[in-house]
Amino acid sequence: MRWKLASLFTGLLMVVAVMFGTAVAPGSVDAAQVKRLIFASAGFHESNRFWTIARPDHLQFEPFWETLVGMDPKTGEPIPQLATKWEHSTDFKDWTFHLRKGVQFHYGYGEMTSADVVHSHSLLIRKDSTATLRPVWVTVDKMETPDKYTVVFRFKNPIMPPVMMFGVQRSGDLRITSKAQWDKEGIGGLDKRPAGTGPFMYGGRQTGLNILFKRNDKHWSGRKVEFEELEFRIAREEATRLALLLSGDVHIGDLPRDLHKDALAKGLKRFSSSLAVDWVSVYLGGNWHIKGHKHFDPKAPLVNKKVRQALNIAIDREETLRTVFAGRAELAYLSLWIPTSEGWNPKWESKFKELYAYNPEKAKQLLKEAGYGPGNPLKFQIWVFTEPGESEGPAIGDAIAIYFKRVGVQAEVQTHDWAKIRNAYRKYQSKNIMWPNIIGWRPADNGVRNFYFSKGNNHHYEDDFIEQTYGKVLKSNDAKERDTLMRAIGDHIQAEYADIPLFWFRNEVFANPKVVAEMVYPGPAAGRTSHFELIKLVK
Amino acid sequence: MPQLTSTRTLPWYAIPWVVDGWRQVKRYPLFSLGILVFVLVIPAVFAPWVAPHDPYLGTLSNRLTPPVWQDGGTMEHILGTDKLGRDMLSRIIYGARVSLTVSLIAIFVGGIIGTVLGLISGYFGGKTDAVIMRLVDISLSIPTILLALVLVAAVGPSFGTVVTVLIVLLWARYARLTRGETLAIKERDFIARARVAGASHTRIMFKYMFPNVVNSLIVLATLQVGYVILLESALSFLGAGLPRAEPAWGVMVADGRELIVTAWWVSMFPGLAIMLTVLALNLIGDWLRDHLDPKLRNL
Amino acid sequence: MQRYIAVRVLQSLVAILVMSVIVFGLARLSGNPIDVMLPIEAEQEDYDRLTKYWGLDRPVHEQYVVFVKKALQGDFGQSLKYQGQSAMGLVVERLPATLELAGFALLISAILAVPIGVLAAVSKDTGWDAGAKVIALLGQSLPAFWLGIVLMWIFAVWLDWLPSSGRGGLKHMILPAITLGWFQVAAIMRLVRSSMLEVLDSEFVKLTRVKGIPEWKVVWKHCLRNASIAPLTFFAIIAGVLLTGSVVTETVFTWPGVGLLVVDAVRSRDFQVVQAVVIVFAVIFILCNLLVDILYAYLDPRIRYQ
Repeated sequence: MRWKLASLFTGLLMVVAVMFGTAVAPGSVDAAQVKRLIFASAGFHESNRFWTIARPDHLQFEPFWETLVGMDPKTGEPIPQLATKWEHSTDFKDWTFHLRKGVQFHYGYGEMTSADVVHSHSLLIRKDSTATLRPVWVTVDKMETPDKYTVVFRFKNPIMPPVMMFGVQRSGDLRITSKAQWDKEGIGGLDKRPAGTGPFMYGGRQTGLNILFKRNDKHWSGRKVEFEELEFRIAREEATRLALLLSGDVHIGDLPRDLHKDALAKGLKRFSSSLAVDWVSVYLGGNWHIKGHKHFDPKAPLVNKKVRQALNIAIDREETLRTVFAGRAELAYLSLWIPTSEGWNPKWESKFKELYAYNPEKAKQLLKEAGYGPGNPLKFQIWVFTEPGESEGPAIGDAIAIYFKRVGVQAEVQTHDWAKIRNAYRKYQSKNIMWPNIIGWRPADNGVRNFYFSKGNNHHYEDDFIEQTYGKVLKSNDAKERDTLMRAIGDHIQAEYADIPLFWFRNEVFANPKVVAEMVYPGPAAGRTSHFELIKLVK
Repeated sequence: MPQLTSTRTLPWYAIPWVVDGWRQVKRYPLFSLGILVFVLVIPAVFAPWVAPHDPYLGTLSNRLTPPVWQDGGTMEHILGTDKLGRDMLSRIIYGARVSLTVSLIAIFVGGIIGTVLGLISGYFGGKTDAVIMRLVDISLSIPTILLALVLVAAVGPSFGTVVTVLIVLLWARYARLTRGETLAIKERDFIARARVAGASHTRIMFKYMFPNVVNSLIVLATLQVGYVILLESALSFLGAGLPRAEPAWGVMVADGRELIVTAWWVSMFPGLAIMLTVLALNLIGDWLRDHLDPKLRNL
Repeated sequence: MQRYIAVRVLQSLVAILVMSVIVFGLARLSGNPIDVMLPIEAEQEDYDRLTKYWGLDRPVHEQYVVFVKKALQGDFGQSLKYQGQSAMGLVVERLPATLELAGFALLISAILAVPIGVLAAVSKDTGWDAGAKVIALLGQSLPAFWLGIVLMWIFAVWLDWLPSSGRGGLKHMILPAITLGWFQVAAIMRLVRSSMLEVLDSEFVKLTRVKGIPEWKVVWKHCLRNASIAPLTFFAIIAGVLLTGSVVTETVFTWPGVGLLVVDAVRSRDFQVVQAVVIVFAVIFILCNLLVDILYAYLDPRIRYQ
């Protein structure tokens, strides 16, 4: 009897298991009833204190807080938002913004003026600020407000990647908030119900679960948003997000690239960002070649150029792209640069094909020359981590470990969290470790400073050539000279196999086709997924 | 000899010794033992010989091949492949080995520590007892999974870390159980006699007391093998389990969980393996409890 | 009796203190929260400034003393992840969700376990008994997160009967509560079964039978009432398991309770929140234990603290 029952249950479970193979269609939702559009997100640092929030967690601010400069959803170009026009001095140190007139803060906190801009900037440089560009914002020597609608930033140094830092592009730090509210309610008002100028108004949040917005019918643009409310629902678990989408509980959401093919097969609709957003590379610990560097160990395995080359050509990028990412990525010829970046060299593509082509036999040969073989295999660790919305890291770690195994390299994949990995490479403790990392697009000079320059705080790869060349970039005010120098750095990074460049990704979201008709957004905006006010619903 | 002829005419299943033997056998939890042998023990012991492929190596272009009976399945990979094109069957077979090793080491070490401390605590009593029992209380009142999460965040996930976490979680129950039983045994005549005969404390504890506790310990250990397998999988789910590449069942279920609709086999098969094994272990544990030690119903 | 309670309370306080040392130390061993807070662009100056701002530059023992002093006044510090909220405030805000879920899970497991246990006892060693056991044990044989995801797919996506996740009405609670509660069913069922067996065998029951009371009434009223005392004492252990179990279940169903909070907090090295949660959990757990111990001592005078 016991036997019979137990087998009955096992059978039942098997049946259920098989049923999962059958198709599931997205939940039935009547578009006419959708008053609240719900977006499922993997999560973000939940707080209204925008000066403590870094990209891409600005997602939670996009609907209600605006910036001086906006971003064109199709081209990503800077467009007027709270400022209607702007100009800079010839030395790029003084920036003047002319504010839009008649922009009202939510909940009756009055018109937005230059005083609000000054106030917002003062929040960014608070003692507890962790804003992405705080190091730059503190170099504002003086702020002037000649009148209610004009504001001038006077910086100590030239601001070279122009205009970006005043907009939502990438960092989107400077969210314009109401001074009147702050003066009246203090920080408590901002924590509880911050007033913005955006197309939505802040409607409250339940930490760990969601954040709610209500349509602002008096937005300065006069645009008519097609739904009354917007909700960001947090669901860290990927299986849960897919379930939310397919059951119709949410209408649009982030999914890991692993699931894209299947999400489409189940009838969900995909919307891609207009521009590439993130690149993924694998960084190799121990490469601090600057002369006399106290942590440099010439015997560390990943420091040997032959080893770096071998590891690079041991990976079949095309296969990885085709399988793990279902073709939804572009090859990165080297980390950091895209064709619009400063110093881009069109020859990098052909150079990449020559230097980085998949060739496991040659990889084995190179490893042998470096002194590794079956009796003495190369060993190191691959550290992976998952941040909400970035599940690619572990997938890449697993995949490259298998390629490495094929050429006789023993790589152990370990799951750590971001805090631990960052701590290790920041403190030069990553000697025998490589780590795949997904990094958001940024101006090339900012990237070089952060990843290849000893003054930066991320010690990925550093050597004397980059140190000197970048030193010249810092001093130069001449766009052409800078371009040549930056190109030389790129050439060097590619030729030295400084890291393992892999792919560029667009941001992609999936939506219920019965509800969402169209969504256009740039991608590199501070919240990655942005421009929710432009979403068109199915009629 | 009439009796012999009558035996001969009986069908085979009515022959007295067969009937008797069957009756004997039926007293044991056959189904559970069978599952245990086939799902856990044989794969664990003979993994390298029975596994068709290398559990660590896959081909990306073969990724997520469905099991053989579904469209697109091949005989090459009877239970399909995972995200990295690794053979599911081989991974499950090796997984039995990993899961069994982890549980056995954790339970064995945790059991020894707990038992020894429990014996000492119960036998000596007084302050020693008070200190050890407070340690047990603390250990039992720590929110286990949270501690494990913080610990793994501190030292990094590895085989050693997971086993250590499990030992820390397990020892206290053995200590409490052993102490309770020791307290009862202490008052019995043969202990007093041994003491009068001049036996040392160690000898009394291990020679005279331990054998009387061992049945309960076996029951507890059996029930905990399943618990440990589940705990290991929960840790993997929270990102604090065994290293990713290890073909541990918990790691596999956790790794394939988001594919549950699209490639159900990736998490379903290791899940079934866990379910069957733990179910079997629980049934055997129940049976052992009924036969060895009916008092222990609170475990 | 009073002395016994006093001693136990004192011991519990010591236990909580020891635990606070462990958590405090481990949390700090686990890394630097500043690494999570700062963007890649941050410079050394930013690290130094924030380390000082959050008081992380002081020696660990000094930090601990400050922590204990403030904690005694109920202040567990400010959350590093949820900027602008106090750690204890977050826990208090989230605790109702967890307790609600745990309570409902307990209810579901009791609703399932008690009849199964009674049935198993009444029809001991039959197919019913075996079947009941298997149903109960199944809950103890499945990884909770996996069970949760499978249930979500069956009932939310495929059948579309229940919401897939989040917190709302009673409907939202059913799936997570089953996931959380099923594990307990076996334990409670077992207790009910064995104490029922004992009671069914007693003189008192034989007497009621002789009186001619119908069998169903004997079983469900007279026996069950007497048999329910034993499982009650098991309550403390169940409470502990439910609380820790909430960590996994809440993550799967994005149930905004303390379990979900603490997983995120560990990941962000939000020390203050981790400490607050662990201590709150421990206090709840110790209180339950204490209650049960005192109840025990009260009911059974043979057990007294030596």
